[in-house]
Amino acid sequence: MKKILMPFVMVIVLALIPYLAVHYAGLTYLFGVIVPYTAAAVLVLGVLWRLFNWMRRPVPFCIPTTCGQEKSFAWIKHNPIENPTNSWQAGIRVLTEVLFFRSLFRNTKAEWHKDANLAYGSHKWLWLGGLVFHWSLLIIVLRHARFFFVMVPGFVDILDYADGFFDIILPTFYVTDALALAAVTFLFVRRLRDAKMRILSLPTDYFPLFLIGAIVVVGVLMRYVVRLNIMPVKDQMLRLVNFSFDAPGEIGTLFYVHIFLVSVLAIYFPFSKLMHAGAIFLSPTRNLANNSRIKRHINPWNKDIKFKTYSEYEDDYRDKMKKANLPLEKQ
Amino acid sequence: MKSSKLFWTITVLSFVLFGVFNLFRQGEAETPRRSFSALVAIDSTKCIAPADSMRANHMQVLYKWRNSSVRTGHRVHVAANGSRFEKSLNTCLGCHDNKLFCFNCHMYANVKPKCWNCHLSPKETP
Repeated sequence: MKKILMPFVMVIVLALIPYLAVHYAGLTYLFGVIVPYTAAAVLVLGVLWRLFNWMRRPVPFCIPTTCGQEKSFAWIKHNPIENPTNSWQAGIRVLTEVLFFRSLFRNTKAEWHKDANLAYGSHKWLWLGGLVFHWSLLIIVLRHARFFFVMVPGFVDILDYADGFFDIILPTFYVTDALALAAVTFLFVRRLRDAKMRILSLPTDYFPLFLIGAIVVVGVLMRYVVRLNIMPVKDQMLRLVNFSFDAPGEIGTLFYVHIFLVSVLAIYFPFSKLMHAGAIFLSPTRNLANNSRIKRHINPWNKDIKFKTYSEYEDDYRDKMKKANLPLEKQ
Repeated sequence: MKSSKLFWTITVLSFVLFGVFNLFRQGEAETPRRSFSALVAIDSTKCIAPADSMRANHMQVLYKWRNSSVRTGHRVHVAANGSRFEKSLNTCLGCHDNKLFCFNCHMYANVKPKCWNCHLSPKETP
């Protein structure tokens, strides 16, 4: 229980810090300018450091984990996505994994039936919840482009229109807001429901869920409940994008809570399991082509071994072998 | 087994909630309408609140006006200093008659209110 409560309390405290500091101490410059810049710097440098650190590790072996028919005879049907033979196919494999979570789609679950039979069945809830969660977050982040550009790119407008398709309540209700909240709740409940998951889950599993949930809740509050004045927010975000250090205008306190929690997420990102965002592109079990039967892979660490062929051996010991009446290939 | 039970519980619960919610809404619709003849003289020579607070809060005001005037028929807004206004976009646009009055900021902040889905936009009036 402690490992759930601790990250929960942490997120509450993190949300209270900017609220108290801005509402009672008026530290708008710290939380509107300094913290966001620091967080952005930590995010960019941290992610680059993690990625370069992984990229400079040697990958000496051909170790893709595959689950499809390898390329073989012409009359055996090859599965190019599940068992890629060149880097193009491997690229498609990584991309479909990133965009559609193919491996989670194959998730199965084993459970005891009443007649004491062990049964395996398809279990796609995690796939669905994860997919909804990630896509909702992506669309929400892209929608925020309206704060970062004076002229919003066209595709963001289309996205905005599609997201507000149901056109209910004022301001327009975005489906992704509800879906992200639902998905984050599902991902949390999933860890609670099963005894095995409860044991496996760590505070670092709950913390990002609570943090992202809190960010979405604060965003929803700003948009639908408090109806924050957006003009100084846009001013401030444009200043941040243009690397200006001017003080922010009169912005509602909730904005500072939102941007502080996002900053915390950005700082937490490079040092946590959230780096799976970059790691999925670099994992050698997924991004390598399975061409070990086409190309010879030699471990670069191997020392050069001095081989001695049989003919060389015979050359060295010919006289002795002759004396012992051993058969020789060359006289 | 477990998840199908959960599914049915949620379905039945949501139907019950929906029904209860609709019952309350029906009660809401039966409140008597006020007739427009009861309206007081409308003062449109000054704004309902200082410019700063209007800039920050006009959306809350318009949201309340929409709900109270359309759904319950209370069409008179009493300002903090006691002067009365008709809850109408025309009250606003009567003074703020610059055609781009709304759009300057709304284009900048990329906020698209739904006023002009029904009302005639100032851009469309001659």
